[in-house]
Amino acid sequence: MAEALSAVLIGLPLTLLVTAAAFAIGAVGGIPLVLGLRSRHTPVRLVFRFAVDLLRGVPTIVWLFLLYFGLAVGDYRLDSLGAAILGLGVVASAYLAEMYRGGFAVVPKGQREAAQALGLGRTTTFLRVLAPQALRTALPSVTTYLLMLLKDSSLASTVGVLEMTAQATAFSRQNVGTAGLTPFFVAAGVYIAISVPLAIAARVLDARLSRSL
Amino acid sequence: MELGDYLPRLGDGLLVSLQLTVISVVCGYALGLLLALGVSSANPWVRWPTVTLVEIGRGIPALVVLYIVYYGLPAVGLLFDSFPAAAIGLTVTAAAYSSETIRAGIRSVPAGQREAAQALGLGRATAFGRVILPQGLRSAIPALMGLAVQSFQTTSLAYSISVNELMGQAYQAGAVTFRYLEVYAITGLLYAVIAIPATWLSVHAERRLSRGYLS
Amino acid sequence: MTESLFTPAGEAATAGVTIANLAKSYGSHLVLDDISVTVRPGGVTALIGPSGSGKSTLLRCVNLLETPDAGTITVGSRTVHAGKKISERDLLALRRQVGMVFQSFNLFPNLSVLQNVVLPQRKVLGRGREEAEARALALLDRVGLKDKAHQHPQRCSGGQQQRIAIVRALALEPRAMLFDEPTSALDPEVGVEVLAVMRELAHDGMTMIVVTHEMQFARDVSDHLVVMADGKIIEEGDPAAIMAEPAQERTRRFLSAVLER
Repeated sequence: MAEALSAVLIGLPLTLLVTAAAFAIGAVGGIPLVLGLRSRHTPVRLVFRFAVDLLRGVPTIVWLFLLYFGLAVGDYRLDSLGAAILGLGVVASAYLAEMYRGGFAVVPKGQREAAQALGLGRTTTFLRVLAPQALRTALPSVTTYLLMLLKDSSLASTVGVLEMTAQATAFSRQNVGTAGLTPFFVAAGVYIAISVPLAIAARVLDARLSRSL
Repeated sequence: MELGDYLPRLGDGLLVSLQLTVISVVCGYALGLLLALGVSSANPWVRWPTVTLVEIGRGIPALVVLYIVYYGLPAVGLLFDSFPAAAIGLTVTAAAYSSETIRAGIRSVPAGQREAAQALGLGRATAFGRVILPQGLRSAIPALMGLAVQSFQTTSLAYSISVNELMGQAYQAGAVTFRYLEVYAITGLLYAVIAIPATWLSVHAERRLSRGYLS
Repeated sequence: MTESLFTPAGEAATAGVTIANLAKSYGSHLVLDDISVTVRPGGVTALIGPSGSGKSTLLRCVNLLETPDAGTITVGSRTVHAGKKISERDLLALRRQVGMVFQSFNLFPNLSVLQNVVLPQRKVLGRGREEAEARALALLDRVGLKDKAHQHPQRCSGGQQQRIAIVRALALEPRAMLFDEPTSALDPEVGVEVLAVMRELAHDGMTMIVVTHEMQFARDVSDHLVVMADGKIIEEGDPAAIMAEPAQERTRRFLSAVLER
């Protein structure tokens, strides 16, 4: 048990790195995508809608394989960590863009009208009035997605990143009998152990923000 | 091996993926409904164990669930072939997620509905079975449809326990032809042509349901 | 007028309601403070007062949607003592005696109009389908909504929905009816349709307790007015007399505020 735990924990830093880096790419990458999804120009909107749907429609693992095995620019290829982070991050940007869009969708129409009536410009209206309210609404689904991403980081093991799931598999193969089952439960336990404080923090943050509004 | 040779194999793989989806959605949602009833129970001895079970199920990556069933359980004498192992693992994941969706649907039924049922003197079972649950399940439909699309995509993980579903076939074709980009691009498109319209359908369902019962 | 469909005849005729020394608090906040009200069989009592006065809570205590901390509730010959554990059987037995109409109608949107009226009759009274449907259709006809029987409730206007809700409760042949601000969610011109049904019901001799802001209805239809504030009854008596000349300053202020609107 203790052996299995220490073996699995060797993979923890990479699990956290993959999760955090992919989330960062997704959170930032989602911004241009949501702008495109909300564009006034129908062709632009359709192109972005198609791109976001495609990113979400293809399973993450296929993106990882495409980036890792399929992508070669000249002699350059992504290493497994790079492919995992980029793949998970790009998919995340599509999901997060959709959540941002959901946030904008529920900002009451009167908010934009009030800002326009006050003579605020388009940019000010967007940045100071609409975006903060949209983000506030999107926050719970964004934090839920972060937890999703933590679990999806296990997919990195399929392209050879030695994160927790990969460490658990390796340990299981080297040990026979019940010891073969232990590392998976240990890994499961660690995933849950990280999720719980994250979930609590998200709930507290959400409660704070609703009080301050 | 040329495109014409491996394309039919990808088609075969897609059929296996769809079989896994149907099994995990049908069994998973049935189990999810039971779990949702447990989580909504007034009895703490039923509620808390179910909540724990659901939270554990949702907290573990689907890939790890598959590994537990396929690589882990033989250690305690439970040996499954890869297809049944995948079906079991994906069902467990679908059950955990759908139970939360169904529970949220039940919770979204306005309190006045339960009060009206009480005021009429309907018993608890009748009030739940005839008034609350039908409305709760109805409002859960779009989310359950979305979850089914997710289940379909999750079947791609079954390749990692040697199931010859779409991803497994793609992996083999890639290893033989070395034309990874082409193989995985086609594979991705095959997933997308099913997943994207299915997602549109769930969005459409949501719009229709949000108009109320006026259809 | 032919035989009344609204009120049961014979043994199951309308019953009086007696509320004695009822008390309820949420935490340290006393919502009902030693409330006693008697409604004679066939009497119509209007409950008025500012929001937060406890009038809705009082009404909801009568059919035990809220559990009082102390006091007794008597409907006909059936008495419930607060503070004791009330069995599911006694609870359902009391609720069978009392019909309730809510501010927000609370029709079941997953059932047709007819099914809304039929299902409770079958489950609560054990009536057969044909009998329940016949009764439902007769009552719907009586409020002018027979043609809506096979529609979804949400297809109906608010006023129609509330009349259906009244029919749904009446189909169970209650011996008293509770109304919790039945017209507050309705436009005034639609509320009139609902008030007309309630007038007729009162005329037919149904025992009624009505929480309302409709002062004209309270004056014309009710025979007893109870004014509440801060969980207490501050004044009660003949509706016309109180409205013409309230004894309490608090009542006067409330009445003038309502009438000025």
